[in-house]
Amino acid sequence: MKEQPSAASPSARNLEFKAALLLALLLLLVAGTVVYLLYARGAFEESQRLVLIAEDSEGVTVGMDLTFSGFPIGRVRRIELAEDGVTRIIIDVPRKDARWLRVSSVFTLTRGLLGNTALRAFSGILSDPPLPDGAERKVLLGDATAEIPRLVADMRELVSNLRALTAQDSSLAASLGNVRDVTEKLKGPRGALGILLGNEADAKKLITALDRTNALLVRADGLVAKVDAQVLGADGLVPEARAAIVQLNAALADARASLKKVDAILADAQVAASNAREATADLAALRAEVDTSLRKVGRMIDEVNRRWPFARDPKLKLP
Amino acid sequence: MGKCSKLPVQYSRLQLAGSDCALSIQGSKSRTSRRPYHLGMASLFSSQGPLPDAGRATLTWFAGWWRIIHFGALILVLALSPSSYAASNRAALARHIYQDTAPMLLWFIALSSLISLVIIRIVVVTAVSYGLSQYALEMVVRVLVLELIPLTAAVFAALRCALPNAAEIWEMRTRGEFDALAQQGIDPLQREVLPRVVSAMFSTLMLAAVSCVLTAVLAYVSVYGFTTGAFAGYTRTFGHVFNPAVSIIFALKSFLFGLTVALIPIASVLYDRSRARLRTSVELQSLVRIFVVILLIEVASLIGNYY
Repeated sequence: MKEQPSAASPSARNLEFKAALLLALLLLLVAGTVVYLLYARGAFEESQRLVLIAEDSEGVTVGMDLTFSGFPIGRVRRIELAEDGVTRIIIDVPRKDARWLRVSSVFTLTRGLLGNTALRAFSGILSDPPLPDGAERKVLLGDATAEIPRLVADMRELVSNLRALTAQDSSLAASLGNVRDVTEKLKGPRGALGILLGNEADAKKLITALDRTNALLVRADGLVAKVDAQVLGADGLVPEARAAIVQLNAALADARASLKKVDAILADAQVAASNAREATADLAALRAEVDTSLRKVGRMIDEVNRRWPFARDPKLKLP
Repeated sequence: MGKCSKLPVQYSRLQLAGSDCALSIQGSKSRTSRRPYHLGMASLFSSQGPLPDAGRATLTWFAGWWRIIHFGALILVLALSPSSYAASNRAALARHIYQDTAPMLLWFIALSSLISLVIIRIVVVTAVSYGLSQYALEMVVRVLVLELIPLTAAVFAALRCALPNAAEIWEMRTRGEFDALAQQGIDPLQREVLPRVVSAMFSTLMLAAVSCVLTAVLAYVSVYGFTTGAFAGYTRTFGHVFNPAVSIIFALKSFLFGLTVALIPIASVLYDRSRARLRTSVELQSLVRIFVVILLIEVASLIGNYY
């Protein structure tokens, strides 16, 4: 049996104190945990109620968060089925976070491919009046998995098309068969020509035509050599043309000299013309004098005619 | 209160009733005849009973569990009795509470912190590799704080505190110290048994509480680092995990773990039949019983939490 200290001894009192410390520590831990859990559950903050009405609450659980811009601002408190068959999701929103919710806010319930469901709030106009306590809003359902049936239908159609394409009697198979024939013909003695012309006779004709073209080319080659000799040879066209050009150059030089002479003549003519212009400057006076003389002669002739006895009577006498 | 103060007088002495070691309740000290706690049950245990072996074994099994429950009720009544906390008993209680918990507290904290860190790291890294990092913290809290730490604390307290205490009780009883105490007018249940039961329960709860809080802090630091910026989000996750049902189940589970660890070993020692007739030791048997009960409590809590 262990030696037990008496109740009044210092060591016993010391032990009692230490045991009391341990007890206090345990009580402190338990009380602290309880207070922390109450705080975490939102027991110390005022909240307002929001009711979201959805046609289907699948994936929504009690305690789930309502997020705004990724931040949790509310927590699902209860989910109930209303008399008319719709689901009422009752959410507690702390007063301090309720300012993000406005009367124009939109609520969505989205389900991811992995089955994770999220309740989100969107407030486009933050200047709108705040959402009242106990407000009821319809929730918009955005379901990623709803796309799956349509995707599956599309895939099925795609697969059926592929199956039709790859079937034994399909056009693709026939085309591939033709391609195989073509490649076999390509490997044959006539090669691509056989494919292009379809039959061997035409291919032969084409080869014959090619041979003849070759012969023609040989002859054309000879012809070109002769033309070359004619044109570029010693007595060819080009040397003669070159001589003609030399002569033409000489003629041109002569012509240039003649033109210079013409230039001089023209200069003389210009001088002569200027003299003539000066001469014609006095003609006006001369002409005036001539006019005067002619008018005088005219008046003298009129006088002579008037006085002349054989002068005609220009007057008409009426009976 | 008046009734409670009479209880120690009623449950004044432990007696060995033949090979059954049943608890005898005597109204007065003048009645010294040894009689079993339940006469009918005692006749069933005798080898000359009318029932075949299988039936007798089943009845023995039921009787064993019934005695543990009865012992639990007895200790509960004693624990609620103010006379159990008289100065002389209080010193023994304080001694046991301190000596059974303080020496292993630091070791357990170090051990559980190390294991917690490893598990937190594994969970977080795995969750990140699958792109599910937002669920990592919740998983850590659920796996460690809710399930593993209380379980580990219970097993640790059972091995380091409750079983040695039970062995001490066994030795004291076999040495006849209980009778000596009873002859001195001291109730051995109050003086020797109750402090050990209370200290084992306290030890279980203390280890669980300290390491749960420490693990929660470690999880925060492991996931977010040394910053206070994520405290609001962490608190929200904690609140999300500890909904009212889970919190009540957690508290009940911890309490029942403590009760199991504190009661079963000592009850097995006090009420068990002679060791000579058993192939396994009483300690091993009580350990098996503890594991079975802890397992049942754990399964029940899991069903309560997740179904």
